[in-house]
Amino acid sequence: MKGYSSTGGERPRGRGRVPRTGICAFLLALLLSAALIAPIRAEAPLPSPMGAVNDFAGVIPLPDRKAMEQLAAQVLAKTGAAIVVATVVSTDGRDPDEYANRLFESWGIGKKGEDRGALIFVAVKERRVRIETGYGLEGVLPDGLAGSVLDRYVLPYLRKGEYGPGLLNGMKAVAAVVAGDGGFAPPPVERPRQERKTSPFGFLFLIIVLILLLGTRRGRAMLPYILLMMLSGGMGGGSRRGGFGGFGGGFGGFGGGMSGGGGAGRSF
Amino acid sequence: MSKGLKAFFIVLAVLVLIVLASFSFLKGTYNSFVTLDEAVKAAWAQVDNQLQRRYDLIPNLVETVKGFAAQEQKVFIEVTKARAQATGARTVPEKIEANNELTSALSRLLVVVERYPELKSNVNFLRLQDELAGTENRIAVERRRYNEAVRAYNVKIRSFPANLLAGFFGFEKQAFFEVPEAAKAAPQVRF
Repeated sequence: MKGYSSTGGERPRGRGRVPRTGICAFLLALLLSAALIAPIRAEAPLPSPMGAVNDFAGVIPLPDRKAMEQLAAQVLAKTGAAIVVATVVSTDGRDPDEYANRLFESWGIGKKGEDRGALIFVAVKERRVRIETGYGLEGVLPDGLAGSVLDRYVLPYLRKGEYGPGLLNGMKAVAAVVAGDGGFAPPPVERPRQERKTSPFGFLFLIIVLILLLGTRRGRAMLPYILLMMLSGGMGGGSRRGGFGGFGGGFGGFGGGMSGGGGAGRSF
Repeated sequence: MSKGLKAFFIVLAVLVLIVLASFSFLKGTYNSFVTLDEAVKAAWAQVDNQLQRRYDLIPNLVETVKGFAAQEQKVFIEVTKARAQATGARTVPEKIEANNELTSALSRLLVVVERYPELKSNVNFLRLQDELAGTENRIAVERRRYNEAVRAYNVKIRSFPANLLAGFFGFEKQAFFEVPEAAKAAPQVRF
């Protein structure tokens, strides 16, 4: 709410050279000073959103993050509700619940006016988790329900330090609640984490193929490419820590939605 | 053109300029007062909504607590009284004061709750407590937004030269929704 366009004093300039420029300058200064008063604000800036999953604290393993991003995109497409996850190392002395609300507001989760958004927020150092609901989701996801989602599906994991599974599970639960509203069945809420295990059959199959391939001259010629393929595949699965993957893969859940502080928070 | 006529036109031009400039200044400033004033009103309407939510929640809360701690009459009466006062308040400053009163009454109620482990583990009460925590948080959020709107408005009407006009048109400083230090830690519905 700043910058009132009261600089109309510039208009009469067209009347050629006006003497007494001093008066003009004074008037102009007067007018400009009215426009230049803006509220002063001194606070550490909030981070910008990167997508459905904003793991600023770096606590969500890549597979969980991928699963969350997929689920968030699905929920957004089917129900129009934006579910966003954010983790920070610390809120720097600010109240984590208020921080979550400010983050919600500054990111604008959900469409403007509809405000169908939810933010699952974790402050790692403060050991606080919060589901912040936008105005538009307060009806389907009342505070009591948000609280019990945290109690039942999220806190057991967070207490063990398993942020990835906990947040994924929480997102699934929120998705289920939201979907009840939008007619779409999300994946079941349960312990989702399967350790990446390599099936012995797959491995055996690979070796057989390799032996067969290397038996021929043509196959041997392809060896560098095969190695390259394996290497890149292995790297994809190998990086456990969710890096900051540039811009959030075009997640369209940020549209100016607002939250009025609904939801529930828990310390863990 | 005689010299006198030329001087006359120059004076006229300056006068026109002054009138135009002061008109646009007046218009811009006045309209910005109105905009900011409306923003404050809108923000207060949101606060009011959340306060209403609070009033609606309290009877339920009191009933539930009563079921487990019937002998704590004093605190129930206090809360009920404070609620009645808050719902009866008409002006903004009255509402602010009454609600601060209610806040401290509620925190006393929650202190009582601490003494009843059975109540604390009651599922119904847990939900209510979540709703109360959510309401308090909503009030905090809307109160913050309201205060931000008031600050913008107050800065505007009190800074020169707008303050001259503000006085003339009767735009007055508006009250912040301040929470007394004592009540700040108030309904700490923390889990």
